[in-house]
Amino acid sequence: MRALGGWTRALLGLLVAILLTLPVVVKSSFAIDICIRILMFSFIGVAWNLMGGYAKQLSLGHVAFFGLGAYTSTLLQIDAGISPWIGMLAGGVVAVIASLPIGWLCFRLRGPYFTIATIATAQVLMLIFLKFRDFAWGAEGTTIPNLGNAPLMMQFESKAAYYYIALGLLAIALAITYRIERSWLGYYLVAIGEDEDAAEAIGVNAPRVKRDIYMISAFLTAMAGTFYTQYIYFIDPATAFNFSISIEAALVSIVGGIGTLWGPVIGTVLLETTSTLLQSWLGSSTGGVQLTVYSLILMTVILWRPTGLIGVATEAYQRLVRRKPVQA
Amino acid sequence: MLEILAQAVVNGLLIGGIYALVSIGVTLIFGVVKIVNFAQGEFVMIGMYISFFLATQFGVDPILSLFVSMPVLFVVGVVVQHFLIRRVLGANDMPQIFLTFALSLLLLNVALMLLTANYRTVHTWYSDEAFHFLGLYIPVAKLIAFVLAMALSALLWLFLHATDLGRAMRAAAQNRDVAMLMGINPDRVFCVALGLALALAGAAGSLLMPFYPAYPMVGQVFVLMAFVAVVLGTLGNIIGALIASLMMGIAESLGIQFIGADSGLIVVFLMLLLTLAVRPSGLAGGRAR
Repeated sequence: MRALGGWTRALLGLLVAILLTLPVVVKSSFAIDICIRILMFSFIGVAWNLMGGYAKQLSLGHVAFFGLGAYTSTLLQIDAGISPWIGMLAGGVVAVIASLPIGWLCFRLRGPYFTIATIATAQVLMLIFLKFRDFAWGAEGTTIPNLGNAPLMMQFESKAAYYYIALGLLAIALAITYRIERSWLGYYLVAIGEDEDAAEAIGVNAPRVKRDIYMISAFLTAMAGTFYTQYIYFIDPATAFNFSISIEAALVSIVGGIGTLWGPVIGTVLLETTSTLLQSWLGSSTGGVQLTVYSLILMTVILWRPTGLIGVATEAYQRLVRRKPVQA
Repeated sequence: MLEILAQAVVNGLLIGGIYALVSIGVTLIFGVVKIVNFAQGEFVMIGMYISFFLATQFGVDPILSLFVSMPVLFVVGVVVQHFLIRRVLGANDMPQIFLTFALSLLLLNVALMLLTANYRTVHTWYSDEAFHFLGLYIPVAKLIAFVLAMALSALLWLFLHATDLGRAMRAAAQNRDVAMLMGINPDRVFCVALGLALALAGAAGSLLMPFYPAYPMVGQVFVLMAFVAVVLGTLGNIIGALIASLMMGIAESLGIQFIGADSGLIVVFLMLLLTLAVRPSGLAGGRAR
């Protein structure tokens, strides 16, 4: 790994220290719950960003993998008693396998029609799980048997444990992104994101690169599905294949800074905090408030700063510290 | 058996007329402005609520409220183009896709906040009327909707082919730069395109109101149908979108008749995925954008 700057290293160390001690200091279960949501959606956002951000393959169907991960581990646990820890990896493998035909279909299209095709495939998967009742409980879903404190079955009495799992997942995804950013794959992705035809012209095997990054992204997203199901002890097609998860994965990345390492994390912190404040302020009874605010934030970012909050921060930093001329 | 089949085809054809209005709007915007409008369904929803409120507050017949919903949505279209879409033209895919997607989310959720998720219906004297023709059952409200939808589509086609502004629009769709050199103001043409497309969506909403409930999510069904129809009919092609929409209506109706009542959407999605698998190059020459 390349040497980081002294300040960056100190900041990162401080951040890690704060994140690790947070559950010890914060005792409110409500606050921990929000932290877990932030970590989980950051994780999903980072996974989406690998493909959507760097290669600009703007999927709105990532919930397909989230749902497959959730169902794989739950089916394995309930039907065969296999630990969700293994189920999590199995779900990732299922998602990787599913990403091949889905990618084969969707990558034939570019731009908005790729996006529409990904929405359609995720919807088809949800309809399949709704329709075939004897296969996986149909529309009613099922609850995960509560075993009390059973770490081997990914069940814990304290919320802090879930917090650390989510933090670990996020750390893994960030490390993968960091490595990819500095690898050939990362440069290929950015080249495809800039101009796919030009990338192919200089010898980038675009279909293969897109397939590979889709597999990685799908694997990680599926892990989040297993984690979430274990956390809420419940699964049904409407939760596991909820379109809003696809939306949030893309939204946090775009708002934070598309195609950047920390963008999805910053975006999630902003969006989730806003949504929590709104809910405590207005009460959760008013439907539609959260997505109204999300869509307003999204429009603001797109119209004024398509580089996201990271872009705003970088500009401000350059203006403040280096006094270099800033490009608009 | 043959009768059931014929009846299913007729049902599909009648609702296909409404799909056509939505699809033609999507394909018009795509053809001229080169943007996929993810919010087109929400404008159908707005058209429905306009008709609903005119009917319940002032007793206006939903069909007559076309004369309100269409101009209102035309103006909305011009505003959306001028203040929103114009700002992301020429940018890359991300802003173009997510701007109209954000608009769709915004309209849907504002409607959910202000109007709740309740179904609203308008009952007119012809809502339950039907007549029999060659042994087929034909509901009057759907027939009116179909006939008017076809008439509006024909009017749009005439406008595009027989007026200067329409020709300018087609010219801008074919080659924007050359059209500009010929003295066509693209901003004006784009505003009219958005206005017309949204007016069609508003018309679809008003025509639906006598026989279809209004609710905030109602547009999603129609916009998905429209996307599939627009892909099937080749992007930017109005006649193609029209024919594909009628086919989609029939396919959906046959699915409901022979597979099950809730299988309409599955049929639609499978048609989309099948189209993508079988003739991806047919979709605007392999580069669907």
